[in-house]
Amino acid sequence: MDKWTIGKIYFGILGIVALAFGIADLLVTAGGSSFSLGLLEIPNDMFRGGWGGLVMLFAGLFYLSGLSGIKNLSEIHQFSKVVMGSILIWVVAGCDIFAMITGSIPGEEAWFNTLEGFFGTYAPPYPPAILLLPFSLAVIYYIKKGRLNE
Amino acid sequence: MELTVDKRWDLIDKISKQTVKFKKYKSTLKEVIGELTVKPLTGIPIAIAVLYGFWSVFSSFAGFFTDGFLVKLFDEHWLPWIQGAFPGGLHNWFYNLMVDVGHIQNGALVPSNSCFESFGALTSGLFVPFGVVLPAIFIFYLMMAVLEDVGYLPRLAVLVDTVLHKIGLHGYAIVPTILGFGCNVPAVTATRILETRKQRFLMMTLLGIFIPCGAQLGIMQEVIPEYMGLIILYLLFGYFVTGFILNKVFPGKTPEILIDVPPYQKPLTRNVMTKVWVRLSGFLKIAVPFVILGCLIVGVMYLTGTMDWLANLFGPIFTHWFGVPKETVGPLVAAFMRKDLAVAQLSAIEMTKYQMVTSVVLVSIYFPCLATFAMILKEGGKELLGALAVLVASTFIYGGLIHLIWILLGVA
Repeated sequence: MDKWTIGKIYFGILGIVALAFGIADLLVTAGGSSFSLGLLEIPNDMFRGGWGGLVMLFAGLFYLSGLSGIKNLSEIHQFSKVVMGSILIWVVAGCDIFAMITGSIPGEEAWFNTLEGFFGTYAPPYPPAILLLPFSLAVIYYIKKGRLNE
Repeated sequence: MELTVDKRWDLIDKISKQTVKFKKYKSTLKEVIGELTVKPLTGIPIAIAVLYGFWSVFSSFAGFFTDGFLVKLFDEHWLPWIQGAFPGGLHNWFYNLMVDVGHIQNGALVPSNSCFESFGALTSGLFVPFGVVLPAIFIFYLMMAVLEDVGYLPRLAVLVDTVLHKIGLHGYAIVPTILGFGCNVPAVTATRILETRKQRFLMMTLLGIFIPCGAQLGIMQEVIPEYMGLIILYLLFGYFVTGFILNKVFPGKTPEILIDVPPYQKPLTRNVMTKVWVRLSGFLKIAVPFVILGCLIVGVMYLTGTMDWLANLFGPIFTHWFGVPKETVGPLVAAFMRKDLAVAQLSAIEMTKYQMVTSVVLVSIYFPCLATFAMILKEGGKELLGALAVLVASTFIYGGLIHLIWILLGVA
């Protein structure tokens, strides 16, 4: 099995998981109460859960459409969809992390947060996009590999 | 020797075959991603993701500075200090105008404990532009400049071209529209990129009525974050419906355009910062004097009883047609000076969720702020009268329509 075939399986699984998380985000938002399981927490607000969930769903669809059909992952037009799937996850995860950072610095009463409160903000559970972020970074390896092949 | 056209082309073919080497062109990843952002099937999900990122960063950044630090600075330090240091007191008219109008609690006039409620030129007049609007506008213009320099905006223009043609505009109308979410003044100037008088009239009218500026968005995010989605939905719906009607009613041409889409590129820090600075300084020069002036005029109107007289005069229309309390007349008058100030005033009036949504939509659509009004006058001239007529009609119809929706839903 060459590296592109492994990549096809890997991003296929990632696409299914991203799609499932997107659907779960939308369902939890429609349900009206947040959902938490182990490291995972799905918010129920319209913005992060609803709009963010929609973006996660699109990310899953991009991954899967990049792998569908007879063309293989090394074909640039298919591969670009996989890259776009990862970019969408980076957008949502990046926004989640930025919201964490901006929320962790100011304090409730005092100017700045306590050290405990600061670190507490970064403790689990995390939203789906942050959990998928490390796995989506694998696409960088394939971008570099593609450049070397050119 | 004279050659026919066909012979010339044959000669060109011959020369090019001998001199040019043809290879199979291999697209790069950057180019293919560029194509994905323009095709509707893939471009729309990407646009939804870009806008998500835009608003997420906007609200996190603005909340960080405003809620995290500037509210504390103004409410816990600046307001108590100036309330004690400024000569006079709550019964002195000059003190009321400059520092605090106070509010009634258990039948007694007591000092305000937040800069949102005090409405003095030196309290609300400084807090609104520097404490709330400045962080919001800064991050808005920063992200806007990054999207421009990366090369995403022309692609967005291509993507929305078909939709905007339905309302008599073309893809590049997205530039003044998005700029309007920052400040309507540069947005009105940006309507120059539209070709015909009809298109410019349509764009200026829609900007003046349906696009809330960054200052207003910043205040909405601060005082009524839970209603923001619903309010923006109403405004965007009005933008397209009114645009569609105006396009049908007003004569004139809406030509097609060719959009040059540049390749994606890394933005230059210097370019981005220059753009942000030019837009930000232009905004501050206009906003700060108008907010302070707005506070003073509204204060004088309250002190002289003019606001009460207006509230009684327009009260029946407000309560029966729009379904909002007659006290909202005051903020609507203030909205002519600054809409952000008006939304802040609305937040202090006791209302149901639905009345609040209607009131904020009314503040947005009833009139462009004074600075935008002046800019439309400068840029549009004759078009201003037409825009004003549309504005009066759409405010009356749209405000009544929202009230009707609430009645039909059984919540009004």
